Amino acid sequence: MTAPSGQAPAPRVLTPGVRAALIVLLAGALSLALEPAFPWVVTWPAEWTLPATQWVGDGVGWLLGWLKPAARLFSDLLRYPMGWADLALGATPWPVVIGAVTAIGWYLGGLPMAALGFVGLSFVLASGYWSQSMNTLALVAVSVPLALIAGGVIGILANEFPRLKPPVQVVLDVMQTVPTFAYLTPLLILFGFGPVVGLIASAIYAAPPMARNVILGLERIESEIREAAVMSGAGRLRQLFEVEIPSASAQIMVGVNQSLMAALSMVIIAAVIGGFDDIGWEVLLTMRKAQFGQSLLAGLVIVVFAVVIDRMSGALATERRRHDPRIAYGLLGLAVGLAVVFGARLPEASGFDLLAPLADAVDRGLGEFTAANGDWLAGIKNGVMFFVLLPLRIGLDQAVLPFTWGFAWTPAMSGALFAAAALLCLVLVWRGRAMAGLMLLIGAGVLETGIANLPWPFVLVGAAALGWMAGGWRLAALSVGLLSTILLSGLWERALLSLYLSGAAVLACAVLGGLIGLWAALSPTVWRLVRPVCDMLQTIPLFVFLIPVLMFFQIGEFSAFLAICAYAVVPMIRYTRHGLISTPPELLEAAVASGATNWQILRDLRAPWAAPTILLGLNQTILYAFAMLVIAALIGTTGLGQSIYLALGRADVGLGLSAGAAMAILAFISDRLVQGFAAERRRALGL
Amino acid sequence: MKALGFGLALAAFAGGAGAAELGAVDEPIKLAVNEWTGQHVTTRIAGEMLRAAGYKVEYVTAGYMNMFQAIADGEIDAALELWSSNVSDDYAKKVAEGTIVELGDLGLDAREGIAYPAHVADLCPGLPDWQALKNCAQVFATAETIPQGRLVDYPADWGTPGADRMKGLGLPFKAVPAGSEGALIAELRASTERKSPLLITFWQPHWAMSAYDVKFVDLPKAEDACFTDPAWGPNPNEVNDCDFAASRIFKGAWAGMKDKWPAAFEILSNYTLSVEDQQPLMGAIDVDGGSLEEVVAKWMAENESKWRPVVDAATK
Repeated sequence: MTAPSGQAPAPRVLTPGVRAALIVLLAGALSLALEPAFPWVVTWPAEWTLPATQWVGDGVGWLLGWLKPAARLFSDLLRYPMGWADLALGATPWPVVIGAVTAIGWYLGGLPMAALGFVGLSFVLASGYWSQSMNTLALVAVSVPLALIAGGVIGILANEFPRLKPPVQVVLDVMQTVPTFAYLTPLLILFGFGPVVGLIASAIYAAPPMARNVILGLERIESEIREAAVMSGAGRLRQLFEVEIPSASAQIMVGVNQSLMAALSMVIIAAVIGGFDDIGWEVLLTMRKAQFGQSLLAGLVIVVFAVVIDRMSGALATERRRHDPRIAYGLLGLAVGLAVVFGARLPEASGFDLLAPLADAVDRGLGEFTAANGDWLAGIKNGVMFFVLLPLRIGLDQAVLPFTWGFAWTPAMSGALFAAAALLCLVLVWRGRAMAGLMLLIGAGVLETGIANLPWPFVLVGAAALGWMAGGWRLAALSVGLLSTILLSGLWERALLSLYLSGAAVLACAVLGGLIGLWAALSPTVWRLVRPVCDMLQTIPLFVFLIPVLMFFQIGEFSAFLAICAYAVVPMIRYTRHGLISTPPELLEAAVASGATNWQILRDLRAPWAAPTILLGLNQTILYAFAMLVIAALIGTTGLGQSIYLALGRADVGLGLSAGAAMAILAFISDRLVQGFAAERRRALGL
Repeated sequence: MKALGFGLALAAFAGGAGAAELGAVDEPIKLAVNEWTGQHVTTRIAGEMLRAAGYKVEYVTAGYMNMFQAIADGEIDAALELWSSNVSDDYAKKVAEGTIVELGDLGLDAREGIAYPAHVADLCPGLPDWQALKNCAQVFATAETIPQGRLVDYPADWGTPGADRMKGLGLPFKAVPAGSEGALIAELRASTERKSPLLITFWQPHWAMSAYDVKFVDLPKAEDACFTDPAWGPNPNEVNDCDFAASRIFKGAWAGMKDKWPAAFEILSNYTLSVEDQQPLMGAIDVDGGSLEEVVAKWMAENESKWRPVVDAATK
């Protein structure tokens, strides 16, 4: 239609980027032009899909049958440590547990840490979820060592045999991007029912951070240290365990900390199978009854654990100084003494429910707020749906209707839209910004068609072009190859729906998170307010927030969109702020000395300097958005997340794994693209 | 599947008349505890009956949709409240394999239907008659469904009965699948608090039926022909132009249970519970905040005549 106008630029502006954009534009225009004659250009015909989910199901089924005896043996063995941990934590009187945590806190971080441990555990006791919490801790206490051992072995192997590094990276990516729900069914078949499945699922998710940090730590050891170890004549194993690992210990402790947090965040996911009366199960039960107050309370118990474990293991990693162990023993002794003296007269831990009235009040408050503010909430929802989400999904030509925008979309309007975009594009090309002009034209085309209706050749060519720009031919080929598998497996439509929902959320998060990050970078007061909110959003089980979102905005894409944003906005805020405040001080001084204003410093020095960091934040935001898609499916969405739930309900291994793989493919490609662009920016900055 | 289930149930009854061996009384019988309160009541009563017969009982939390592999493996011994309207395909597979057996109907009288909170009758005059819905679709329309009305349907993995009804009856409604039961309840709650319109696929017994004063729409009474013969019913061109087929609530067990604990197998096979008994207990727990253990213990003490004979028949 309007493709010819895009081919006007003079040869001198034909940079590689412009050429790639031109090809994408051409592909899009051709697809649109061919659509009336060949409908298969837009919708991949069903008869061209392969029964891939069936094959995956059969193949994995065969494999599972073969692995099952070994897996069952393993799971029987795991039941022992699990039982011991459960017995130890469950049978220990609660004053002793609280005393022990307070004592460890003192030993690691003095008074503030001891107070944190004491207040945190007292909150857990007051919430009435003590026994469930101890079950959760038992799960974490077994799964984390498992994850640490697995992660450590993977990391050391990758370090010893450098050729293993690339495949190990891919395996770690897969472990972190395939949604856990997708492989719960095969795990159930392999390991049998019960807490062991949750334990293994959380270990799978928690191992990669450990492995990555071990690799990083071992890589960064200074060569003198290595050489000294070699010269001392020690064998390879002794070099590794007596010199290299101790020198990398700080980085490895960061891995331990990350691993702990990952395991804790997976606890709730594992509860979906059940088998264990833990805090995750409580969250699910209250979520099912839409009791916001109670589920928030149960969720906060997990937040408390996360904060206590994070701060204590963080201190273990960074603080060298230890506090007087005598006071720690004293605290523990006091607690044991209390338990012995009061003995059977101690109130039952599960008998506490001091916070129940508070939870009820929160719940009532939510109801009253919904009743009082329903109208303008519905107004916001309709506004965003009509003017942003629907056009993005199905395109202006289908979203603009008399009862949404007040008029009907006509072909003439499409023409006008394209003509305006083409005109703007020409102006931009004339001013030497061909790339921006072409992107504008492509954007207009996407908006007219809608992401869910994009022709597949256009998506493939677009992915190839982006891949080529970000990482050369290999990334381009990889992107096209992986996307083709989704196309062939028949999950394409759902993948596009997922792409649209997470894309819209990432866009909103990038803008909103960027602005909040900027503000927090400029004002420490704002950061003090924003930081605890970020901490909570990242550690609370997100199931909890589905209830208020549903109450305000009902089932639908807008609610799912909000839920995804609530989670995915956090890294954008953190990384933007971090990038902006970490400009090297000598550069800042030079700028101030040369008389630059604050605004000039921000625009010309801090922002470009922060760009690679902000891009990494964007990368994390994309991964978070994909991870959250599965949870958002509990609201009611129609993308890959729904397929994963369907598969979980039907115990359909093939569909679950295929949909999980499709999701991981989308996340993986986005990740590599953004990382490629970030690396390019860093090179441009000379970093 | 249904016919097979009935066959097995009959076999169980035929085999289990009169006293039976207790079997392995030292090993606990593991009963599945799923995600909803009604099931907790059903299971707790059954468990206490087994205890009264001299067994050890263990209550194991289990995700309803994912527990059938565990039952087939004998890691859970019985699940006492399975809904035919919403049972995983995995169950049928395991029954066909012979690793799970059906224990017959629980006796709970379930009903599913298209429902609405009571205040909606003011917004769409003519309800509960289904014909009223023809003219007030706009009342229920939202951003996602406009110009059609919006029907909140079951989560996708439970099937699409609401969408089937709308198509069958030719009603101008678009079915939006909820993502979870929590999403259904949140819809009911928000609609009740805000007095906003809502049409929803729902079922009873459920605590929310009374908590949010939920009413069913009167649809043409279901007959078998409705689901097979388009000519049947108000819409001559479509099947499904009638109310929901009655759903069964039944019990299932690990196939090895019959030999390991013969008397327990018989008790659970003959165990029944009515809506009239279950619903007040649910209310005592969910609405009045009582604990499951106490509420059930009180009921067991007051209604011994309802359960003791089943235990005695199997053990004496």
